[in-house]
This record gives sequence, structure tokens and C-alpha cells, in this order.
Amino acid sequence: MVVITCLSNVATQVGVGRILGGNKFHYPVGQPELPPEEELRWRVDLMDKGLAALETPLKEPKVF
Amino acid sequence: MKILHYLNQFFAGLGGEEKAGQNALLIPRAVGPGAVIENALKDRGVEYAILACGDNYFHEQEEQALTAIRAAIEQFQPDLFLAGPAFNAGRYGLACAKVCSWVRDNWRIPAITGMHEDNPGTKEIGRHVFVIQTGASAASMPESLKRFSLLIERLLSDNESGIENFRAEYCLPIPRRFTARSAAPDYVRAADLLLAKLKDQAYESEIPRVEAKQHPIPNLTGSLRNATVALVTEGGLVPKGNPDRLESSRGSKYFKYAIEGREDLSHGEFEAMHTGYDTSTVNKDPDRIVPLDAMRVLEKAKRFNKLHSHYFVTTGTGAMPSKMEEIGAGIATELAGSGVGAVILTAT
Repeated sequence: MVVITCLSNVATQVGVGRILGGNKFHYPVGQPELPPEEELRWRVDLMDKGLAALETPLKEPKVF
Repeated sequence: MKILHYLNQFFAGLGGEEKAGQNALLIPRAVGPGAVIENALKDRGVEYAILACGDNYFHEQEEQALTAIRAAIEQFQPDLFLAGPAFNAGRYGLACAKVCSWVRDNWRIPAITGMHEDNPGTKEIGRHVFVIQTGASAASMPESLKRFSLLIERLLSDNESGIENFRAEYCLPIPRRFTARSAAPDYVRAADLLLAKLKDQAYESEIPRVEAKQHPIPNLTGSLRNATVALVTEGGLVPKGNPDRLESSRGSKYFKYAIEGREDLSHGEFEAMHTGYDTSTVNKDPDRIVPLDAMRVLEKAKRFNKLHSHYFVTTGTGAMPSKMEEIGAGIATELAGSGVGAVILTAT
């Protein structure tokens, strides 16, 4: 599992091991300033990073 | 010396379930359990009034009920507030807990209630409220009311050691969510902590830190190309209209919603139930919390095998950590049972 959140310190405190920084706390996987096509491109890229985090074997907690 | 005593419709003698919708009502004399306590204190010159409110009314119209209770308090000006005892009655216990905590916080007068240790009201009681332990049913009424009277006697005589002994012997141990480190009012202690922090001095929070439990970090078994990936969120995203009534805070449930055949989550079809963040941006495009559109692009590009048929959702605000653990375990069990190999969880 990977948790996507902008509050990675909170996620770390509660013991999450695999964390990816999201955008804002009220839209972790959104970028409303961008036009829709660009926002989707940005989100695809972010989710690709999330998948890469899932592919990374971990022994210690890590914030990607 | 004035005592205001909160009772539900039943113990105030107004009626049974058919009167559960009764609005809060000030009765300028002691009735029901109040009459017993008044009689026990008859040498004390007590002025007694009852505040009666229907069990359903309190919960369904909490704001109006509290408005009526405020008016009653301002009219009667009590020195002491009582509620119940509620034994193991859930609606009544919750109302007693909430109203006592609210009165204690707003008027700084002693507040006493009584209930059984399993009453859900015990989880809603604020600091400083006396919660006398009772039996599970009204069979323990006489004994419970003796304890109410004993505590009131001690409060009236300012018998501090007697009060502390009473608390230790007869009150439920309500776990405190924080520890006041001095007798100063809340706002003074808060300002002191802030000043200490700004001056780089040592300070200690009154709120206990939640110690992180060390969980093993699960790694992927095999390749993502063969894995089903699921989306989970604590962001409260539900179909428009919230058909399953997911709570917007203090979540106690989780739900799963089908996304099979959907390319994205559109405005107007889904909405977020969550008092912990401004949901307007997510409501305009729900993919900003459950990134279905992006995951479909990556699924088509064969970045992973397939997206799970449903996304899972709960509300992660104001909730009990123990309840959240239960919800997490429930979601994990369902996902593992459906052959899901990896999870992306979005959190606000």
C-alpha cells in the first residue's frame, strides 16, 4: 500500500511505511489551477509515481 | 441553591416512546428521580427544577434542544446541573453526557450524571463531569439516587477530600483526552504554551501523543503487470445524496462503490462527506480525491494488470483510532479476499 497525502509527517507519526507526497490536504491528487487536460496529465504522472513507490521494496518507512 | 435536573420524557413522567419527540421543557418543580433527590436535600433549602426533553428530540434536533436548554438555564440560573441517571439506555445516556459536558463547559457549574459503564454516553463525556456508576437498569435507581445526593451534599459543603473520595469510589473512570497541568483556565494555558514555544522554551502539550505502532511494510509480491490495484480513501467520497449515510465525521463505517465501466468520477455524481476539509474542490472533480481517470490511463497503458471493481471509502476525521483500525482491517480483509495485490490510499 502507498498512502498519498500532503501531511506526510502525520502519516509517518501514525506508522505508515510507504508515503507519497500529495498536493493539498483538501485535494491530494488534484491540481485545480491547471486546465483539465494538463491536470489529468499531472495526475497520471503522480499516480505513476505512486505505482513506482509500490514497486520499491522497503524495510524502513519512506516518504517518496 | 438551585438545582436543574435533566430528564428524558419517560422519567419526567410525560410519557413513553410516543413522547420521544417532546421539545425541551422547563418544569418548575421536582418530579421523578428529582423528587427523591430534592427530598434527600430537604434541609438544604434547595430550589429544584426539571428540564425534560424527549430522547429522539435531543438527537434529531440537537441544536434546537440546546437552544431551549440554554434559555432554561438563563431563566433558572442553576448552581448545579444534574442529568439522569440513564443506566444503560443509549439515547438517554448520550443526551445526558452531551448536555452535562456542554453545561459544564459553558457555565462552569458542577455537572453530575449517572450511567452504566457500557452506556455509549460514557464515550461522549467531557472532562470535569461527575459520572456516577449505576447498574444497567432502573432497578438500581434507589441506590444511584443516594449516590447523587451524597455527592451533592459534599459539593454543597465544599468537602474537597470527600469529593475526591467519592470520585474514586463511585464515579466511572472516564479516560481524559488531555491533562491540565495547572489550575489556570484553558485559554491561559494555551497562551502560555504558545509563548513558551515562540520563546524556544521547553513546553509539554496537554494532548498525549499517539505513539506510532510499528507495522510491517508490505512489499509487492510479483510484478504490477499481474496485479489488481485498488483505490481506497478516507476522504468521504460517496455517490451524490450519500445513500448509505456515511458520517461526515467520527466515521464508524466504510463502504465500497462500483467503478467498473467508469472512466472518471464526474461532478454531480459523487460528493465528499467530510467535515475535516473544504470539500468544494473535490466536489467539482471527484478524481481529485479518488483518481479514477488517471488510473484508467495507466491501466490502458498496461502499467498494471487491472483496477479493482470498487473503491473503498471512510471518513477519517474526528474518529476514534481504535475504530479506524477496525475499519482498516475490514477493508484489508475484503481486498485481500478479492485478489487485490496493491492499494493506493488517498488521505486528506
